[in-house]
Amino acid sequence: MIRTYRALLVASLQSAAQYRVQSVLWMLLEIIRPVIFLAAWVAVANSQGGQVGAYDVRDFAGYYISLTLVLQLVFSWNAYDFEYEVRMGRLSPKLLRPLHPIHYAVVENLVWKATTFIPLAICLAVVVVTFDARFRTTPAHLALFVPSVLLGAALSFFSGWVLATTAFWTTRVHAVSTLWDRGVFIFAGLIAPLALLPGPLQTLSLVLPFGYMLGVPAEILRGGVNVPTALLLIGGQAFWVVVFYFALQRVWRAGVRQYSAVGA
Amino acid sequence: MSDAVVDVRELRKTFRVTEREEGLAATLRSFVRRHRKDVNAVAGITFRIDPGEVVGFLGPNGAGKTTTLKMLSGLLHPTEGEASVLGYVPWKRENAYLQRMTLLMGNRSQLVWDIPAADSFRVLQEIYRIPDGQFRASVSELTELLELQELVHKPVRNLSLGERMKVEFAAGLVHSPSVAFLDEPTIGLDVSMQVRIRRFVAEYNRRTGATILLTSHYMDDVVALCKRVVVIHRGRLLYDGPLADLAERMAPYKIITATLHDGAASSADLDTYGTVVSRDEGRVILRVDRNVAPERTARLVNDLGDRLADISVEDPPIEEVIDRVFTSEQTTVSA
Amino acid sequence: MRRYLRLLRLFFTTEVQYELEYRTNLVMDLVQTVVIIVTSVGAILVLFSYTDVLNGWSLGAMLVLLGCFYLIQGFGELILAPSFEKFMEHVRLGTLDFALLKPVSAQFLVTLRQFRVTNLAQMGLGGIVIAVGLGRLPSVGISEGLGFVVALACGFGLIYALLLALSTLAFWFVRVDNLMALYWAFLDAGRFPVDIYPGWLRVTLSSAVPIGVAVTVPAQVITGRLDFFGLAALVVGTLVAFQVASWFWHVGLRSYAGASA
Repeated sequence: MIRTYRALLVASLQSAAQYRVQSVLWMLLEIIRPVIFLAAWVAVANSQGGQVGAYDVRDFAGYYISLTLVLQLVFSWNAYDFEYEVRMGRLSPKLLRPLHPIHYAVVENLVWKATTFIPLAICLAVVVVTFDARFRTTPAHLALFVPSVLLGAALSFFSGWVLATTAFWTTRVHAVSTLWDRGVFIFAGLIAPLALLPGPLQTLSLVLPFGYMLGVPAEILRGGVNVPTALLLIGGQAFWVVVFYFALQRVWRAGVRQYSAVGA
Repeated sequence: MSDAVVDVRELRKTFRVTEREEGLAATLRSFVRRHRKDVNAVAGITFRIDPGEVVGFLGPNGAGKTTTLKMLSGLLHPTEGEASVLGYVPWKRENAYLQRMTLLMGNRSQLVWDIPAADSFRVLQEIYRIPDGQFRASVSELTELLELQELVHKPVRNLSLGERMKVEFAAGLVHSPSVAFLDEPTIGLDVSMQVRIRRFVAEYNRRTGATILLTSHYMDDVVALCKRVVVIHRGRLLYDGPLADLAERMAPYKIITATLHDGAASSADLDTYGTVVSRDEGRVILRVDRNVAPERTARLVNDLGDRLADISVEDPPIEEVIDRVFTSEQTTVSA
Repeated sequence: MRRYLRLLRLFFTTEVQYELEYRTNLVMDLVQTVVIIVTSVGAILVLFSYTDVLNGWSLGAMLVLLGCFYLIQGFGELILAPSFEKFMEHVRLGTLDFALLKPVSAQFLVTLRQFRVTNLAQMGLGGIVIAVGLGRLPSVGISEGLGFVVALACGFGLIYALLLALSTLAFWFVRVDNLMALYWAFLDAGRFPVDIYPGWLRVTLSSAVPIGVAVTVPAQVITGRLDFFGLAALVVGTLVAFQVASWFWHVGLRSYAGASA
């Protein structure tokens, strides 16, 4: 398995070199959304004398910078490509190889994240300086961030693939993924830090999986929650990762059966 | 001077291409210094076409036929030279010119895929400002000639390749152009569809008197449709004249096929009559100089007597003729 | 001119006929649009649960702005984006030649050819959001209303110019999907008033990528926050942008046709 991964990695790196510009563009795309909402919350804070709840302007900056970093490390897009591959019939050759198609996606994902990390870090450094962002991170937070972001990435990956497998049954994956994306939009900590969501929405955000992908690792990185709370939240992440892992197994198997029955 | 429909003088088109060799070193070098080369796609050709003619452009890939057609239809500006079609300079793309011409490309579609062809025709009517009466007449004539009754109301993507080509033809001709440029119109079609398209083009030319220029790989297209053929090779005009004369000038020999009884061909000694091209079981194929062909044929019949089952004397296959033209590097021979 | 309008109507009606055949698609698109717009309104409500005024914009004014955003984005996706996508495909497949040889403006045939009718829903819902926002504001006068229409038209014009310039690059680079992605990203920034953004972003959104201006100005006009000179500047700016983009497109076209030797 290690050797396979190494081979896949090399191949992926080579093709990534071709798509350098594309990768950077995609990365810029990602940054813009958090920046937009950061600007909005700064405006709100300024209208309220500089503070909204537990966040002042510098805290907001710290939060959104952490969020962007987490987005970068957690984001997976392969699900979208998958629907295309199924439709175009390109999945079949992959199914016939003795390697689960998902491994290609894992490698591609990792390579992309590795190659776009540095440009992203530079952009974020600029934002840190512009806003004089405040981070309340302690070494304990950093230590907890590692498992948290890994779990967030796993959750994003598995849930994305569960969505993608619906491509085996419907051609309207786009509709399903839009609904999911809007869920992420509201509940994952993008439009507002989870702590600032009004009552019922905040409760929902703790129950639904979205927040555990982005908002939770972001707050842990920023040091916005104390260590005991962080541990609890990581537990929540682990729970959802397990749920989606098994869901993916089930759905994938059923999907492939369906695919072969219909005639790949 | 007759008023030719197409008048081309010393038309030239040169493309600048950057060349790069393989390998990492060459890639790095090319960042610093680009190695450019001039490619003469069309190297100065001259010809005229009269109204109502159907002219075939023959040539191997990259010969310059499509480039010439693109210049005449107005898509490309020439590097040098002049051309006029219907009195217009094509590459100015004046609306009055575009109104009276059409370009059809064999493997490229201008129709919208998802809607029935009939809807596309309506759009074309509006674009070309065709009055209702003329539009209806044109559509019904094309429908009849191309047998489109079942096809025009289906979405184009549901049609087979051949059906799509027929509908494309109709779309290209709905505005009754005076000049039609056809670029590889039968490419990729099965044989029966090719025949039907050829028949259509001939009939269309007969009915409307439209001038037609067509390029093709398929000799059968040219043989079926064009009395006159222009041979282009490496951007130069090698031959411009009647198809019939092409064989005479380029391949001055005849093919004699003699079929013998009881498989005696293999043992027969026929070298004295001409060059033996092939022999198998009952048949011998000889190549004989054009001038002496009648005499040799007579001698064969005489000498072989009743051993001879069948004999035929033919022009060499046109592919062979063309092949010789391209490999012989002869200079311009015009009719 | 009338011919062009008739052609536009033909393009529209044929597309409507085609899309009506896929009723499930239509319904799903409508549902998606509703979900997206409702959640966007929700995001604004969350912000306004902590304040009454954001950079001088009240909730009503912000809703008007969001509605303008969806009107403009909807217009872009109704006709501009589909047409430009088709254009890039034509360049790739070599079928652009057909458009060039028609006795109609090639720019028209290429840039206004393909509708995606379901996006009318986005525009309609955007209009509803504007109405809701206006309901929370003091009443609107005739001059504001007229100014709004003018500003909106300029907004459409600016988006057209932007997309035209972007897709001209397809003449040279063939695959410009990534740049289109950048367009979508910047467009997203239009959901908030352009004045809340930090300097560099605000400037970009007001000039090179005039989305901020396209969306914010109509909202400013109808909520009575813009004077005549501002509106006049917008009109002039739109005309200039349109001319420059069209000129650029024709340069690309000439190079495609091998005119520059």
